[in-house]
Amino acid sequence: MRIFLINLLAGLLLCAGAANAAELVVIVSAKSPLAALRPDQVADIFLAQTGRFPDGEPAVALDLPLGSPLRDTFYSSMAGKSPAMMKAYWTKMVFTGRGQPPRELANSAAVRRMVADNPSMIGYIDRAALDPSVKAVAAAVQVAR
Amino acid sequence: MTVDRPPLRASLAALLLLGCRMAQAGEYAPADASPRWTFGGYGTLGVAHSNEDAADFTANVVNPGDAGHSRAWSPAVDSRIGMQLGVELDSAWSAVLQLVSERRLSGGYAPQVEWANIKYQVTPDLSVRVGRIALPVFIVGDYRKAGYALPWVRPPVELYGTIPISSSDGVDASYRWRAGDANNLTQVFFGRTDIAISPNDRAEARSLTGLSNTTTIGALTVRASFLTTELSVGLAHELFDGLRGFGQRGAALAERYEVNAKRADVATVGFNYDPGAWFVMGEIGRMNARSFLGDKTAAYLSAGYRVDDFTPYVGYAGARANTPTRIAGLDTAALPPQLAVPAARLNAGLNQLLSTVAQQRSFTAGVRWDLHPNYALKLQYDRITPRHGSSGTFINVQPEFRSGRPITVLSAALDFVF
Repeated sequence: MRIFLINLLAGLLLCAGAANAAELVVIVSAKSPLAALRPDQVADIFLAQTGRFPDGEPAVALDLPLGSPLRDTFYSSMAGKSPAMMKAYWTKMVFTGRGQPPRELANSAAVRRMVADNPSMIGYIDRAALDPSVKAVAAAVQVAR
Repeated sequence: MTVDRPPLRASLAALLLLGCRMAQAGEYAPADASPRWTFGGYGTLGVAHSNEDAADFTANVVNPGDAGHSRAWSPAVDSRIGMQLGVELDSAWSAVLQLVSERRLSGGYAPQVEWANIKYQVTPDLSVRVGRIALPVFIVGDYRKAGYALPWVRPPVELYGTIPISSSDGVDASYRWRAGDANNLTQVFFGRTDIAISPNDRAEARSLTGLSNTTTIGALTVRASFLTTELSVGLAHELFDGLRGFGQRGAALAERYEVNAKRADVATVGFNYDPGAWFVMGEIGRMNARSFLGDKTAAYLSAGYRVDDFTPYVGYAGARANTPTRIAGLDTAALPPQLAVPAARLNAGLNQLLSTVAQQRSFTAGVRWDLHPNYALKLQYDRITPRHGSSGTFINVQPEFRSGRPITVLSAALDFVF
């Protein structure tokens, strides 16, 4: 099985159409002034390269559990990194004291609940878990063939 | 005989401070800011073989490897295990303790405190640490012991051997900033460190002051560092005391070459370009210790290509001395015979010390196999040629050692993280 990844901005979230499409959206609180983020801006926050959103406000990333397909799709589409490369990346960051991986929450609903309450937080969830308490600022589609 | 890092004054102070902070966190912190503990570690099971039996191959001088003269296959060169305990008390305060067990100058493997520091995140961009902190020098300097994070079995010995220490006790400040597409991390640090090199002698770096800047633009990382310190290494006392017995000329030689509160500077710049499918990295550094440790320049260039779980790589490295490593020393011709003999012996001793200033070239080829998540197996071939009368980066050099002969080193290492 090959996995094709397509990055889309939030405004371009048109139907992917494919039957097996797992769609993820990057979310911030509905209270946040942010409209859209580029994949590299999302990656910088999740890889602890920056602690701020592009507008200068503090940013804290939330992750899904290691091994979840949504997580693998997220890092490969936003940062171009496989699970093995992510492991090596965090080995460097952790054992240089430069950062810890984002806090992990159990599932999309848990991430959404935490992000909704806090404008400094950013997470990614299954598109199906989206509700008005949060808003999508970037998206990726994993099409399985 | 015990060989320990000095009393962990700064580290203990840091841990005590942490205790206070934890008590505070318990009292005042809101419920959702409960401390987050992390535990992890890394390790390497390695074995190295050298075909040179008149010296030992080692990765650095403070964790002596013994491949070659002492034994044909040495597990001591690369094997180590590190464990790290961290805690985030809230969004501002965190602390980390890292212990590393590896072969020490005493020959033992008792764990040493590699890091013990408290970090205060002043703003999302500015943090300050107090305690025992990694030295932010060289591209892979901060994680040089975590083999899993390295493409090779070990960092190139020519350059990384110039600073065998990897942490200091003191303070540092890190500031993250952005310029266009470039993410920057600027660090300033001040500290000290010392290690016991024999039961009675220490090597000590005081007023260790430095600046390091890391710039990341997409797949490109560039780091430039500078540090300066007042270095004392309690080695070869008899030699220098002997020289001081030979008048002005002898005193001048002792003053020139003894590592006694000498200003030592290190400047390095390196890059790593890693778009995912392949990588290339290179670094150059100069270290001037104004003593028998020499003034040397070392550099390397290395590249690898990822094919599924395999990453074959090659590298070329070199080190050269910028000041003479063979000197005339005392003028034996002007001395009466009964003094000329000990003077000649002192000259030979001094030149032997200077021959340890690494001058060598090496070619490296190897392959990393990511055989399992969290495990990497590496096989590496090195062809190392000490040059110009130098014993290169080799230690435990025997009288029959001859500079200029290529030496083959074969290594296998299993790196893991947990």
